[in-house]
Amino acid sequence: MPDWTPRLRRAFEANGHACDADVLDELSTHAAAAYDALRADGSNANEAERRVDDLITMWVRDGAALRRRPKGASAIPPPSDDRGLFVGLLQDLRYGIRLLRRQPRFAAVAMLTMALGIGATTALFSVTYGVLLKPLSWPDPDRLVRVTETRTGHEPRVRGTMSNGPYHTWTADHSTIEAIGGWLRQPSSTIAMADGEPTAVATSAVTPSLFTVLKARPLLGRLFVDGDQPTGAAPDVTRVIILSYGLWQERFGGTEDAIGRVVRLDGKSGMVVGVMPSDFVFPDRETRAWTPWVPPAVLGDGVLRMTIFSALARLRPGITSEQATAEGTARARGAPDPGLTAVALFGGNGPAEIRAIPAVELMTADVRPALLVLLAAVALLLVTATANVASLQLARATARRREMAIRAAIGAGTARLTRQLVAESAIVGAGGGLAGMALTIALHRALPSLLPADFPRMDAVAVDSRVLLFAVSLSIAASVACGLLPAWYARRVDLVGSLSEDGSAPIGGGLRTSTGRARTLIMVGQLAVSCVLLVGAALLVRSFVALMHADRGYDPTNVLTARLSFPADYSMERRTALLEHIVDRLRPLPGVREAAYGNALPLLTSGGFRGFKMRPPINPSIEVEANVMERVVSPGYFGALGLRVTAGRPVKDTDTLTSPQVIVVNRSFAAKYLGTHPIGTAVPNLGMCRGDHDRWDVVGVVNDMRQESVTDRPQPELFLPARQVGCTSALSQAVVVVRTSGDPPPYAATVRSVVHEQEPSLAVDSVMTMEDRVMNALAKPRLYAVVLAGFAGFAVVIAAVGLFGVLSYSVAQRTREFGVRAALGAQAHDIVGLVMRQALWTVGIGLLLGLLGALAGTRLLSTFLYGVSPHDALTFVAVPIILVAVAVIASLVPARRAAKVDPLAAIRAA
Amino acid sequence: MVTSLLERELKRGSTEVLILALLDERQRHGYEISQLIEERSNGTITFHTASLYPTLYRLEDKGLIEGRWVERAGQRRRRYYRLTRGGRKALAKQRSTWDTFFLALDRVAGIRHA
Repeated sequence: MPDWTPRLRRAFEANGHACDADVLDELSTHAAAAYDALRADGSNANEAERRVDDLITMWVRDGAALRRRPKGASAIPPPSDDRGLFVGLLQDLRYGIRLLRRQPRFAAVAMLTMALGIGATTALFSVTYGVLLKPLSWPDPDRLVRVTETRTGHEPRVRGTMSNGPYHTWTADHSTIEAIGGWLRQPSSTIAMADGEPTAVATSAVTPSLFTVLKARPLLGRLFVDGDQPTGAAPDVTRVIILSYGLWQERFGGTEDAIGRVVRLDGKSGMVVGVMPSDFVFPDRETRAWTPWVPPAVLGDGVLRMTIFSALARLRPGITSEQATAEGTARARGAPDPGLTAVALFGGNGPAEIRAIPAVELMTADVRPALLVLLAAVALLLVTATANVASLQLARATARRREMAIRAAIGAGTARLTRQLVAESAIVGAGGGLAGMALTIALHRALPSLLPADFPRMDAVAVDSRVLLFAVSLSIAASVACGLLPAWYARRVDLVGSLSEDGSAPIGGGLRTSTGRARTLIMVGQLAVSCVLLVGAALLVRSFVALMHADRGYDPTNVLTARLSFPADYSMERRTALLEHIVDRLRPLPGVREAAYGNALPLLTSGGFRGFKMRPPINPSIEVEANVMERVVSPGYFGALGLRVTAGRPVKDTDTLTSPQVIVVNRSFAAKYLGTHPIGTAVPNLGMCRGDHDRWDVVGVVNDMRQESVTDRPQPELFLPARQVGCTSALSQAVVVVRTSGDPPPYAATVRSVVHEQEPSLAVDSVMTMEDRVMNALAKPRLYAVVLAGFAGFAVVIAAVGLFGVLSYSVAQRTREFGVRAALGAQAHDIVGLVMRQALWTVGIGLLLGLLGALAGTRLLSTFLYGVSPHDALTFVAVPIILVAVAVIASLVPARRAAKVDPLAAIRAA
Repeated sequence: MVTSLLERELKRGSTEVLILALLDERQRHGYEISQLIEERSNGTITFHTASLYPTLYRLEDKGLIEGRWVERAGQRRRRYYRLTRGGRKALAKQRSTWDTFFLALDRVAGIRHA
């Protein structure tokens, strides 16, 4: 049987037709079938072959019609269609990179803007996420609650603590919690190897149950068990100790035989029973060892004891913190009444209230609002940065109108053009994103030095996969946002207009073209955001300055302070004698104006609290419960601290055990309990281990002092002469205060050496100037002010660069118009005015919106402000002036360029 | 001239409707279609086999039929055509048009169709 395909092909080619292989195949099967049928009907081979040849001849005659057209084929198939989306995308990316390399300035500005926006946002996100959202590192962290105690209607003296009474009643009978544990942080213990020098470390006394609450396991040895804690009359004796991983490495080189070894902690022997793993951080990073402790019973040895400490509980599964709160409060009300001590510690002796607060919430309560406000601010900043890049892209898109029109004319669809533009922004976004991530990592390295030491949960902040994912998503979102706007305008490209016009914009520039309008709108938005951020930053800075200069009641300049911790077995006589020696050695040194000691110092340690009953001299018929802060001070303490004596006299050298007992009160105490003539009145019932001599004559009144924050209300305070106090507990810690005539830091070494001379085993820590303490206390407000000011500065730079760009572009577009105007007699100042008016309109609208936004937004800031109203008039006037000045500077260069347009050249060029 | 044009259009239209009608029953290949047209009209409709394939390709272009290559064991590879949804609609329309046409012929000229 003949093969019909070659025969068919030859026949078609001979007649000038080129048939598809597909068609040839089909005709060939037909021919074969016809041949077979003819043979079956009885035709001989030749006859059949001839008949089929006739058929072929017939087909060839109509050869031109034998063609199958591919379905839906376009006249000019676009080159990438048959190579798939991905290949086309690569082509777009390559083209985009080529374009950006030809415009390095645009690429640099766009990527830098993106990088700063993405970097700042990611860094702040990582901090917010790590601090506020990341679960604590303990097992089942959502069941951990901090337990706090208050008295109905009163603010406790030390927030976030509970007392021993409710602790014991709740421990004895609980159904909503699995366990409750407490701890006392001891910031200045000393630790020494058997025969080594003591060094100051922070330790915590913890209840054995605390480890159960945390579900912690030791790396070596064991945890505390009930009975480990010292009991009875010698509460200060440490018998066992658990080391942190760091201290174990440092002191024992990480060897396992550390277990069972004896160290000296605060002068007492303690046996190492356990080592915690390196990731066990509790309650803070500074704590390097733990000692066992159990809060004392309220009624022991016939004495009422009340202790306050921090407490943590673990909820039973399925129990809410509200249920635990209810149970805790019920148990607390069953605890023995601690009497007046409750008044001293909790401000009142009403019914106890226990609150169980999710642990993360309490830890982060004071930074949460600030972080959220800063996150909102950085989001605004990111939007501004993205909008700026979009605006730059729009300007490029306008310059590339012809390119887009040509591409559209030769068959590129809207989707194709959009993809090209989005691909170009994606390159900017990816470059900016990468640089932003590098910035985030750099910021992370710097975080420990940028953030205040007491910033909570810093160890949870890390550049992890979630943070990187956030940065990547941010980059993609920003790129798409930047690319879509120009693409939206490219979509409406007017082929004929773009290809035929001469490229110059219509008269009026800016607002007459749709991209010009879009860029002006972006500009208005940028100015509004800058205005909001700048107002916020200015308020925070003003508030910080106010905090710095606020009257704290004492004078922190040129004051050096240090803390001493005494071993428990030092008697009161030994303590005062040591301290007297130290200040006596310091006083005569050149440059030292005063040296004194006491048991309290603002921003460091608060001394003691005391509650007692007294009959106020102004109304002796009633007995009131006074609750006061109690300080023990040496002569010269007020002078050293710069605390002004407003009436009577300060504590003197002559106030000793043998002289009448005297006391100095602060103005709040005098006003609250003693009336207008406090000198000569007396305060009873202070105890102070003076046996029956329990009457203290008021000899002086001093100014109120702010202990912690200047926003705290001043508390009633009593100052007792150290030489008249018999109780060791009144001087368990001492502070040395030295006022110098010059810069105090050089005296730090002197203070240390003087202390060492007197008592080599005494640990000195926290040697700092009072000004540094104030600055440390203001670290958070300073941080918030600096961060927001940084954001505002960045936003203002972006707005200025944006305004410069928009105006320069508009001036370039209006060159011919300016030429015509100049030719018709417009002077340089007319044209400058024209450009400036355009700028100032934009700025004016932006500022108006910004000020309205700021008025609404600064209410969020009101909780952070001190000494300045959220609607501070000076700020709201100064910020617009600053922004207008910046805008004028940004517009001057383009305006001068417009004024210099040579009419002839401009018109000829057009 | 006018007659020949009409004849050609008629023929062209009728070829299309014949093919669509045959494919309405089941899918078929080109040779089978040509054989069936010849057989069923008892040779009355002797259309040029030459016009079969151009018609098939035209119908395919219009989306009324679609062809695909089918290989069966022991047989040659063949291209089978079947009606598309559009083709089915077009056939129904053609049928009603032809019905109307024959009805008109019957009324006007007394020509009946079976």
